[in-house]
Amino acid sequence: MSAVTDLAATGQYAPARAGFRVLVVDDDPDMAGYLALLLASEDMAVDCVPDGKSAAGAILKSAPDLVLLDVLLPDTSGFEVCRRLKRDPATALIPVVLVTALEDHESRVNGIQAGADDFLSKPVRREELIARVQTLRRLHETRRELEARRLAAEVQRKEAIRKAFSRYVSPRLAERIVGELGSEQAAFGDAHRLHVVALFADLRGFTRLTESVEVGEVVGMLNEYFSVITEAAYRNEGTIFSMAGDSLLVGFNVPFPQPDAPVRAWRTAQDMIGSFAPVLARWTQRGGMPTGIGLGIASGEAIVGNIGSPHYMNYTVIGDAINTAARLTQMANAGEVLVSGAVHEAIRGVLPAGRVEARGDVALRGKSEPVAVYAVRP
Amino acid sequence: MSAYKVKVDKDLEDLIPTFMSNRRKELDALRVALAAADFEQLRQLGHRMRGVGNSYGFDDITDIGKLIEEGARSGDKAALEKHIAQYGDYLSRVEIAYE
Repeated sequence: MSAVTDLAATGQYAPARAGFRVLVVDDDPDMAGYLALLLASEDMAVDCVPDGKSAAGAILKSAPDLVLLDVLLPDTSGFEVCRRLKRDPATALIPVVLVTALEDHESRVNGIQAGADDFLSKPVRREELIARVQTLRRLHETRRELEARRLAAEVQRKEAIRKAFSRYVSPRLAERIVGELGSEQAAFGDAHRLHVVALFADLRGFTRLTESVEVGEVVGMLNEYFSVITEAAYRNEGTIFSMAGDSLLVGFNVPFPQPDAPVRAWRTAQDMIGSFAPVLARWTQRGGMPTGIGLGIASGEAIVGNIGSPHYMNYTVIGDAINTAARLTQMANAGEVLVSGAVHEAIRGVLPAGRVEARGDVALRGKSEPVAVYAVRP
Repeated sequence: MSAYKVKVDKDLEDLIPTFMSNRRKELDALRVALAAADFEQLRQLGHRMRGVGNSYGFDDITDIGKLIEEGARSGDKAALEKHIAQYGDYLSRVEIAYE
């Protein structure tokens, strides 16, 4: 079928290799057919509609790359159609060429005010139409290319952010951070103060153990240990702040709010001890010295942010709650979780009956006031 | 009487039968509007002729359309009668060559 027969039958012409789609809005079928034929001869796909309402429907269905718009339409003016297109962010970037036999100055001004990108005077000269449309096509293609590059750069940037944050948080949380870049900038940008629940985990007796086994074996054991407890932290959506020696610091309610942060911290402690049990059994079977995880959980205000030098920076949490959790961990026996009074208050409803022991107010190193301490054995 | 000779681009040839058919319908519509003294309809028809004629290579249609549009604006029935008759004459004697 030729362009003419296609257009006559369906109001559409779509050559196979056309990458540029034009919507012609004109109630005069001869003018619409003429414009469509010229555009089709330039390998453009063309749709023709006779009025403003059909134009709005066609654009909503599939946005064209360019609109050739007659000013005098039966249902509304081309100016109004143009104004609506330019007002809607979804269609504002579609170039609009007003085609008009109106020659007066006022019509041009109206067209400019409506946001028209260009004008064509009727009678339409073939060379002028092609030149104007091709110019807008080049602009459109340049814009599309720039947009594609911008998107590619955005994807790259998100991937870099995802990789960077996957050091600290579970893959799921890293995806969320990347998905909410606005929040990410707020959460991971400038240092800020937050109420944090801190959990420290430490391998009891491991330092002594390292003195009696080969270096290679120590590394293998540490890797196994950290794999298990890191996974437990991720499962409960904790943020890993530091890993040093055989201790791990996990934060909750950071970077995103977690109203159930104390319970999450407790579940993480349970999960760590439970998941580590089979590993511990294997180690003991191999003749290793008795060991186990000791944990401390405390809560309070902390400063959170990227801290360091331009060459080395870490997502860090600093505050009294962190120090308290660290001290509690030092006091905890293997398989034991020591929690501060505030944390105990928040999680008492989920603690196993008969496995909680109040240790009273304990003076912790570096703290002026004693802290109420509770020991829990999951 | 000699014909009005018009040269039309070859690639528009397929469009011309419909184009000419629409012009004859347009002539009928002009006559009906004139009989009814419907100047707004006459103005719109003249405006359309002005836009479409020259685009296809029919300069006379554009010129006559312009005169009809002006006549309708000023309500000059006598002038409109004359231009519509001229249009009828043109359509009956136009000869098209494709090149």
